[in-house]
Amino acid sequence: MKWISIFCCLSLLMGPCPSSWAGVVDESELDIQTREIAKTLRCTVCQTENIWESGAPLAQQMRNVIRERLAQGQTPEEIRAYFLSRYGDYILMQPPKRGINWLIWLGPFLLLFFGSLLLLREVIRWTRATPPAPPPPTLDERARQRLDRELHSES
Amino acid sequence: MIVELGHFAVVIALVLSLVGIASAVITLRTRNVDWARVGRSAITLIFVLLAIGMGALVTAFITRDFSVAYVANHSNSKLPFFYTVAAVWGGHEGSLLLWVFILSAFSTLAVWLHWRTQPMIMPYLIGVESGVMFGFLALIIFLSNPFTRIFPVPPDGKDLNPLLQDPAMVLHPPMLYMGYVGFSIPFSFAMAALFSGRLGEEWIKVTQRWTIFAWLCLTTGILLGGYWAYYELGWGGYWGWDPVENASFMPWLVGTAYLHSVLVQEKRKMFKVWNLFLIIVTFSLSLIGTFLVRSGVLTSVHTFATDPERGLYILMFVATVIGIAFGTLMMRSNTLKSQIVMDSLVSRESVFLFNNLFFLVATATVFLGTLYPLIIETLQGAKVTVGPPYYNTVFMPIAIGLLFLMGIGPYIPWRKASTAALKKHFQVPTIAAMVGTLLLLVTGIRSAYALAGAFVVIFAATAIVLDFGSIARLYAHRYHVNVVKGFVSAFAHNQRRYSSLVTHLGVLVLVVGIIASTIYQSEKVVSLRVGDEFMIAGYHLKLVKIHEVEGRNWIAKEGVFELYRDGEFLTTLRPQKRIYTESQTPTTESAIYAINLGHVFLTMPDVSPDGEAVARAVINPLILLVWSGGGMMGLGVLLNLFRPRKKDA
Amino acid sequence: MSRGTQITLIVILVGLFALFYQGLWGDPRHIPTVLIGTKAPTFIGPDVETGRPISLDQFRGKVVVLNFWASWCYECRVEHEHILRLHREFQHDPNFVMLGVNYQDELSDAQRYLQRFGSSFPHVRDVKGTIAIDYGVYGVPETFVIDQHGIIRYKHVGPIVGPTYDDLKQHMLMPLLTGTEPSTL
Repeated sequence: MKWISIFCCLSLLMGPCPSSWAGVVDESELDIQTREIAKTLRCTVCQTENIWESGAPLAQQMRNVIRERLAQGQTPEEIRAYFLSRYGDYILMQPPKRGINWLIWLGPFLLLFFGSLLLLREVIRWTRATPPAPPPPTLDERARQRLDRELHSES
Repeated sequence: MIVELGHFAVVIALVLSLVGIASAVITLRTRNVDWARVGRSAITLIFVLLAIGMGALVTAFITRDFSVAYVANHSNSKLPFFYTVAAVWGGHEGSLLLWVFILSAFSTLAVWLHWRTQPMIMPYLIGVESGVMFGFLALIIFLSNPFTRIFPVPPDGKDLNPLLQDPAMVLHPPMLYMGYVGFSIPFSFAMAALFSGRLGEEWIKVTQRWTIFAWLCLTTGILLGGYWAYYELGWGGYWGWDPVENASFMPWLVGTAYLHSVLVQEKRKMFKVWNLFLIIVTFSLSLIGTFLVRSGVLTSVHTFATDPERGLYILMFVATVIGIAFGTLMMRSNTLKSQIVMDSLVSRESVFLFNNLFFLVATATVFLGTLYPLIIETLQGAKVTVGPPYYNTVFMPIAIGLLFLMGIGPYIPWRKASTAALKKHFQVPTIAAMVGTLLLLVTGIRSAYALAGAFVVIFAATAIVLDFGSIARLYAHRYHVNVVKGFVSAFAHNQRRYSSLVTHLGVLVLVVGIIASTIYQSEKVVSLRVGDEFMIAGYHLKLVKIHEVEGRNWIAKEGVFELYRDGEFLTTLRPQKRIYTESQTPTTESAIYAINLGHVFLTMPDVSPDGEAVARAVINPLILLVWSGGGMMGLGVLLNLFRPRKKDA
Repeated sequence: MSRGTQITLIVILVGLFALFYQGLWGDPRHIPTVLIGTKAPTFIGPDVETGRPISLDQFRGKVVVLNFWASWCYECRVEHEHILRLHREFQHDPNFVMLGVNYQDELSDAQRYLQRFGSSFPHVRDVKGTIAIDYGVYGVPETFVIDQHGIIRYKHVGPIVGPTYDDLKQHMLMPLLTGTEPSTL
């Protein structure tokens, strides 16, 4: 793995240094990009894990392929397209938004929308069918007012 | 010998479950209560026999009797004693036995508890519970028998899956099953109500505590599973939307809907059919979950060896139970028309209905997502993956909607809300939520979901806190005590309401934990040698040593990391890369340091022979809120469960 | 409950159980390939036994059977004698080539495996796993057939035994080698 090592002068800027001559290692831009891509691809041998989280050897090799292709200057889209061309939709962590897959992407929202509409219509129908409620019992009202008064008098 | 005794006990239990069914039928025919007594004895005996069966299996594990195939496949002479107990339910056969054992315990308890007060329900309760037990016992005896011996006897067993060698895994399956199985009691009462046509509010009031208890167990089980995934799977996440996790989440969602919707029937005597429908769906999803996990239809990280024959049997059984339940519901539903009286759209009743809608859509989303790969394979012969990114996009808006309903629901009165009441309860929360969201926007948060989530969370939390404040002051004033004492007496005065508000508050805390640990999470992976150090989110980690450590059944390379912040030494973290010697399975053991309600989470996924290690550090701010929120939900439920009885009305 | 609701409920339940029933017979590891009909990716790698480089390009114009295997894989051992038989049956045809690809393995293990179980055709070592990823392999054994024009015509996941063997031989290799179009498998 490619890593940058710098001397303690940098960590002096950050505050007291735990150990004066240690190498400070960090992620490279390449590491970060590899991670972002790896998180969107599925580890094909371990079912619902992505190849970033998986410890399987195949996932490790796939991460290396991503890194090499990034180093060659390919864009994340090109790399994803490469994996897609080898493994099909299965390699993506979510179904691509096309064709029949719209069912699963829009289904829940349609269900919520039409469900709400239907429920709203029913509730309004029920409230219309219900005769206006009798006025609430006066005792309740008086008690409530007393409580309100007590509350206010306190503050 | 003891194993044969256990086997024999389970066979007798199977026969007795048939006796239970028969006694229920005869009681209903003859109206002779003696037959119900026979059924009661049968159920009680099944419980005793299955306890013997469980005891025999546990003994076989403790004495490491590898002549028993199940013991040989799931434990090993080097397996620590503590985990031999987890190994009892570490595989297919043992988990099924545990499932039906818990069912028998609950049935026995229910029969004795409600015998005097609910005589008319008893034959149905005995019949339904015996039927379900029969299905599972037959499965155990004929298709997945944990007592089968093998010959020749292996000198030692295969090891228990190392991922399951964990304290959380000792408790997680029993809690989950107690949740699934707990819903069978309200389900049986519902079926009794349907068959007998006695559809008052009686069955709901009687089973209220059962429902809450089952919900508590299921919630605890799910949270334990999340906690296990968090530190054991080594990637620092607690929920992966894995099919097995989804299988436990679906009954939870519908169960929660049911928990709320029964309140409408209790208070307003409406939606009888709807509540029956919900409890049937809840228990059906528990059964379907068992089918999904145990048949291998959906392959996931957790699934055990697949076996179509076993799967087919479970499917047939589950289909029979669900078919009977829904069939009866449909045939009876026309006679069950309840008068719907609804005064206003802005009323508690209406909020509950929308709550139910959202919960059901949430369930449908998880259901669709879980089954979608199967649907696509059947329709198109193609394979797709439905992973966390899908759920994060689709499930979250529904969850935010639910949180909003949770915020307004408790403060909208039954029948009809007046504008004045709405203003009184919601004016301050709305302003608080707007201010809070604006502040977050200013600090640079741009995720629409996070902002919307924050808005509803602040809104709902403010409403509850204001409410708690005002009742505390009211009671303090009335009884001339301080505010804390005032709060306590107010709480006790309507414990049912206020304990559920505590649960709501717990949900909000949990949601804050989820949002914060998602958007503020930082992660870094570096390779380093002894003496190297790296920085992440203001923390300094230095690798001082890599050495070998040895456990009872594993060897590990342990990295010793010193953790600093602002130059100040905090702790030493020791993540391990373990190899379990028997199965040669590698695992990564995480090292966690809790600070300011957050976690520094460190794993060491790889160590090369030449001493170069790969370290992965994740900073999860506020993640402790996830678990403390869960604890608060549990506390609320316990306060609800153990409230003084006289305050029920 | 209205008639419409009842029918919807029945349809949902029946559909659900039909789906579950169907799912029981599916192989959870089965993944349809997107590669059939596309150009076979070329590769170069060391021979397992000799260490000399082998490239797919040197077999251009021939029918190539590509078999991915590993020494730790049980099913590979099951199919090994059948793979050898397949090679015996076609080895006299000058247009036929068989290549093994050794996947995620230790070199010494792979060599020992071949010594023990026999080897009659060359095996390429997939050192970095890139050949396997190029061919969309996710587990071994997997077998591909590449035609004279360098197009992937066939893929099978799992051992080549029994009916699979006959299918591969009669409906794929024989037509390809005699110049007729194979019937679709």
